[in-house]
Amino acid sequence: MRKTMKSWIAVGCAAAAFSAAGCGTTSQNTGQVQPQDPTQNCQGPDGRYTIGMSQANLAEPYRVRMDEDIRKAAEKVPQFEEVKFLDAAKDNSQQVSDVESLMTQQVDLLMISPNEAAPLTEVVKKAYNEGIPVVLLDRKVEGDAYTTFVGSDNTEIGRQAGQFFAQQLLPDGGKIVQIKGLSGSTPAAEREAGFKQGIEGSNIEIIDTVDGEWERSVGQQQMDALLKAHPQIDAVYSQNDPMAEGAYLAAEAAGRVQDMEFVGIDGLPIESGGIKAVEQGRLAATFVYPTGGQEAVEAAKKLLVDCEQVPKQQTLPTQLVTQQNAAEVYQRLNQN
Amino acid sequence: MATGASPSSRTGLVDSLFRFQSFFGLLAVFLAAIVFSPRNSDGQILFLTSDNLFNITRQVSEIGIIAIGLTFVILIGGIDLSVGSVLGLAAVGSAVLMVENNLGMIPAVLLVLLAGAVFGFLQGAAVALLGVQAFIVTLAGLQIARGLARMWSGGETVQISYGDGPDQAPMAFSLLGERTFGGVVPIPAIIFAIVAVAAILFLRTSAYSRHLYAIGGNEKAARLSGVPVNRVKITAFVIAGLCAALAGIVHAGQLNTGSPNDGIAYELDGIAAVVVGGTSLAGGRGSVVGTIAGALLLGILNNILQLNSVDTDIQLLIKGLVIVAAAALQRLRPTQ
Repeated sequence: MRKTMKSWIAVGCAAAAFSAAGCGTTSQNTGQVQPQDPTQNCQGPDGRYTIGMSQANLAEPYRVRMDEDIRKAAEKVPQFEEVKFLDAAKDNSQQVSDVESLMTQQVDLLMISPNEAAPLTEVVKKAYNEGIPVVLLDRKVEGDAYTTFVGSDNTEIGRQAGQFFAQQLLPDGGKIVQIKGLSGSTPAAEREAGFKQGIEGSNIEIIDTVDGEWERSVGQQQMDALLKAHPQIDAVYSQNDPMAEGAYLAAEAAGRVQDMEFVGIDGLPIESGGIKAVEQGRLAATFVYPTGGQEAVEAAKKLLVDCEQVPKQQTLPTQLVTQQNAAEVYQRLNQN
Repeated sequence: MATGASPSSRTGLVDSLFRFQSFFGLLAVFLAAIVFSPRNSDGQILFLTSDNLFNITRQVSEIGIIAIGLTFVILIGGIDLSVGSVLGLAAVGSAVLMVENNLGMIPAVLLVLLAGAVFGFLQGAAVALLGVQAFIVTLAGLQIARGLARMWSGGETVQISYGDGPDQAPMAFSLLGERTFGGVVPIPAIIFAIVAVAAILFLRTSAYSRHLYAIGGNEKAARLSGVPVNRVKITAFVIAGLCAALAGIVHAGQLNTGSPNDGIAYELDGIAAVVVGGTSLAGGRGSVVGTIAGALLLGILNNILQLNSVDTDIQLLIKGLVIVAAAALQRLRPTQ
């Protein structure tokens, strides 16, 4: 019986290996990017279009806002009949399936904010090679199989945050801690690198760094640990606002909030977002990280309705938000 | 005599209905998918396009392979909660061995499969020889495999790029994410089919199969009648570990990454496929064929919900209800 079992396993493994190594593939699957005319789906103002939006994770407020910005902007374009939204819930496999589903539904244009670059590259390339214009938001894929990228420069935002620390928050120096988003993710690496550039030449020392997984609750737990480990912390640099708020709550519970300043990134103009937190004094500052939703719809309109090319990269600017300008920025970002 | 024959015929018919419950369920969901499918401007049913149907086979391939392995364990009345974590460990292992240790594809794949089998063996030994409950052993296994995956990867996603250089994986591995037979049939689906056929033939042609069902039906009676209970149990867990490792290899090949967070909650999807497929969690009844039908049923359900852009939260609700319905029908089955 043992031999029988082993032979079956051997057959299964051999067949699997043979299948993987031996089956031929056609040129369609060579993985090369086929150059596309980005306006080929354009039928002018008389056309009716469906847009597909594949979102990485709607558990993050930033991404909920991104989808809302897209929805609002698309409602103003009469030719855009429908925008189909799908949520991958942080699951790369799910997002691959989402893109396949949107392709099956024959959307005229694909918008996507990839959960991670490498896992989504192949399916986005497939959509692009089939002639569907691809608009990337916030995060890229590997290679250049996309029509346009709309997003902010994370390194630049990190640099401006660092400069804020060096010039305004702690001009005489101090000990700070950093709460990163997620090690291994590009935005986290870039925001960190930019921040370090920004504080160069100052007396600011980063005494510890932790991962907050872009979430308030994780940020709070990690800050709790940092407070126990470090008797002196002058300020917290958090790579997004929810983690910064979590850090504030931990410091408040430890009775040390008056000794510290908290800075985040995103500046979402919603009740629970960073701008309100600055206005209400919990955060010293935040940096607006635009969702790019409106700009993505503008690009889609140019491609599908106006038959115009769009630039490969559209970098969105950031803005420092402090208590002095928080109310004005909040109001401006919510006009529409 | 006439009255005697009629009840007997009816009982046979009812029994056949329940015996093939998973197929009738699959057929019902397939027909419902046709009815609820969106259509394009030409009236074509989008669900029935060959691209979409093959997308479904690709999408269910990893869960399907896991579920086949789980079927062996569940048939003996056990459970294996570690398979999702073993998938993550295998994905990380594949990536690290090829990209960082520069192993060839075949050695890397064989080593990863061996690791899965050994992991399964250790769990099986704990269940069979130490008498610890399968739920407890594999719950521990879930944590251990996840921890090992994080240690092996250094806590970060290991990206797979292809080529001949250092830090690159062999091109052959990228075939796992490709399609063959004219660019139509996904290779993961072919691997799933091969595993399915191997498992079906194994269970139909070996004494092992009778021992498996005997233990699930009544372990004490099986032991008394000379069935080598411990060996059969350990083998079941080895098969589950092997299948989880193979699914991890497919996962890494499809997504071009090995992430320590891959496979989270996949054990639940795998168990759902086994249950929907008609295998009893009490052991002793069920089949691999039913499991395949169960995996496809859930895959079709997921696909049609996506095609209609149903909200993620509602999707989870509907899937849960389908699983409850399938399990409830099992309770209505007349006792033989």
